[in-house]
Amino acid sequence: MKEFDYLQPKTIAEASELLAQYGKAAVLFNGGTDLVIQLRENLIAPDYVIDIKHIPGLDQLAFDQENGLTIGACVTVARLAADDNVKKYYPFLAEAAESIGSKQVRNRATCIGNIVNASPLCDTGTPLYAMDAVVCLESKGGKRELPISEFITFVKRTAIRDGEIVTSIRVPYVEGARGVFTKVARRKEVDLSTICGTAVKIKDEYHLAFGAVAPTPVRMPKTEALVRGKELTDQLIEEAGKLARTEVSPIDDVRASKAYRLDVVEVVVKKSLRALR
Amino acid sequence: MKKIHVRFYINEELNELDVQPNRTMLSVIRDELHLTGTKVGCGAGECGACTVIVDGKPVNACLVLAPEMDGMHITTIEGIADHDGNLSPLQKAFIDHAALQCGFCTPGFIMSATALLNENPTPTRDEIKHAIAGNLCRCTGYIRIIEAIEDVANQNKGGAN
Repeated sequence: MKEFDYLQPKTIAEASELLAQYGKAAVLFNGGTDLVIQLRENLIAPDYVIDIKHIPGLDQLAFDQENGLTIGACVTVARLAADDNVKKYYPFLAEAAESIGSKQVRNRATCIGNIVNASPLCDTGTPLYAMDAVVCLESKGGKRELPISEFITFVKRTAIRDGEIVTSIRVPYVEGARGVFTKVARRKEVDLSTICGTAVKIKDEYHLAFGAVAPTPVRMPKTEALVRGKELTDQLIEEAGKLARTEVSPIDDVRASKAYRLDVVEVVVKKSLRALR
Repeated sequence: MKKIHVRFYINEELNELDVQPNRTMLSVIRDELHLTGTKVGCGAGECGACTVIVDGKPVNACLVLAPEMDGMHITTIEGIADHDGNLSPLQKAFIDHAALQCGFCTPGFIMSATALLNENPTPTRDEIKHAIAGNLCRCTGYIRIIEAIEDVANQNKGGAN
């Protein structure tokens, strides 16, 4: 691991200033489960590591029906998975969080880190895409919010501007929403997703979000339009599964082939819709 | 590179050190504190050989930077037996069930299972498997490890061994 200075800002303003001052020579440090590996392998070699875990308020995990769920930047996925409100109102998000890595990793890794990493297969991504979650950013210049689908722009790329910090993610509350999270991986635990997906029934709509099938997690607008407001007959579910294949663009990689992924997307869409009807 | 002053408890003993930021907690535990029961395996959070308990929760010591240790309460395998050296019920169960062969992964398993049993004294077999999923063992095939932990869970239930 190359030498670096370790900085512990106590406010968002201070962290933002450090980021602006050091630019590309600095990285933000949160749970560290990805970053320490990158540092160790010298995949990144920053001069400054800015640990945001000492900033009060970033560990907030709060729920009310008006504002929905607020997941602070430093909330671990273990805490998210175990939270009573998350389990009650967003059980599919709790399941997604619990499916990440191992117990040891979940005790350190954060949900916001999972999203900011912008991996196409981020497990907490699809529940958040399905719920139209909003990413809250802050810098010296002020605050702004972005829909999560506009926040992740490509593999490992986000819309974060220089000096900006993701302070939280907000997940709207919708009464009666029900959802299903599915992770398909090569083994049951401690593996990356070959495919992950979340289907949520919101009033008469079905929101379908999938990961590891495109450069970013994706929604399926055509398939969602096909089933909106309709009774989910066996035939309609069959059609939805076929249409879903046309809305993703998976690749061949070490975990699976493109052909396998297309088949699995169809199966997961059909199973999820059957579970929600 | 500025050293960072850290103050932490390890196995209930207060320590103060000036650490280089580009070291991991694992390297501090082994090379500064000479507590070599915590093992270096993959160094990437995959194998669990470096598992320690921080503030009640199991974590991979290889994925924590040394300056983050400030304020932590850390338990390593050296802190599991009592002050007179009496093994914990879990350590005894590992011996009784021959839940190890080469022993390299054992400290990590003991730490993960100790954290589990502290949080949930009577876990089910599935809960045990889920809790140790982040620990790899290349010798035992896991069955004896699961049985050893289950044995302690049964003792906690007040059941027969």
